Amino acid sequence: MNTVALDRESAEWLRDLQGNGGAREHAIARLHALLLRVARGEAARRRATLPDRALEDVDDLCVQAASDALMAVLAKLDTYRGAARFTTWACKFAILETSTRLRRHAWRQQKVELDDTIWNRLPDAAPPALQRLENDQLIDALHRAVDDHLTERQRLIFQSVTMDDVPIDVLAERLGTSRGAIYKTLHDARGKLRQALIEAGHGGRVS
Amino acid sequence: MTESQLQKLLGSADPDPGCDHSGELMDAYCELVARGEPLPDRFAEFVTHIANCTACREDTEGLLAALREQEESGTG
Repeated sequence: MNTVALDRESAEWLRDLQGNGGAREHAIARLHALLLRVARGEAARRRATLPDRALEDVDDLCVQAASDALMAVLAKLDTYRGAARFTTWACKFAILETSTRLRRHAWRQQKVELDDTIWNRLPDAAPPALQRLENDQLIDALHRAVDDHLTERQRLIFQSVTMDDVPIDVLAERLGTSRGAIYKTLHDARGKLRQALIEAGHGGRVS
Repeated sequence: MTESQLQKLLGSADPDPGCDHSGELMDAYCELVARGEPLPDRFAEFVTHIANCTACREDTEGLLAALREQEESGTG
């Protein structure tokens, strides 16, 4: 990404954080306060998605997220190119650290495993009869494609993410990999399934 | 199966650069949206990605909410 001319405020942040002494310490304290406020705001926004048992730990998670976001920002200062304001770029790290922690915290007592009964929950509750027939055929074809074309790992990731609503951050933690790697596996699996459905005559719905 | 169910299962066939590349564009995308400006073509794949990836979509919504809160409170 190309570097663009920085706005005055972003240039000041960068100058102070890359400097020494009191100005740097003051800038770090201001930045930490901003990141903590963003972390707490994100937690409040997501409050309804958290189970009751997780709520009492939320502020500790926000404090950890803000500290790790601060470390990430300071470590990556030389990669900031000014495509957005400095504070927006920095707040992105607070959002990512907070959301990942909250997702993992919400799922910490739940298993992630292949569940074939999930296919029974896919059909619409009460579709018209003709549509129900088409749906049944499409779901059967999709189920067959999953069994025939996906590896065990692709199947676990595809079913967990798209049918069981397991966050990819949770899967990444359980499978010992990164969010990007999980998404790549999901993307490849979706491509295989789309192709299999087209070959099975369902191209009108999936292409 | 509804179209939205199918979209959730299979995503879009359009080019999707994945989470890492999209994460690099998230801040610039949110500022443009917060200011109500039109999105340049270079954000097309990012838009596809956040339609396909729940976590990145939620994070983008989170950053956008933070920008709006800062704007409203005068701290942005």
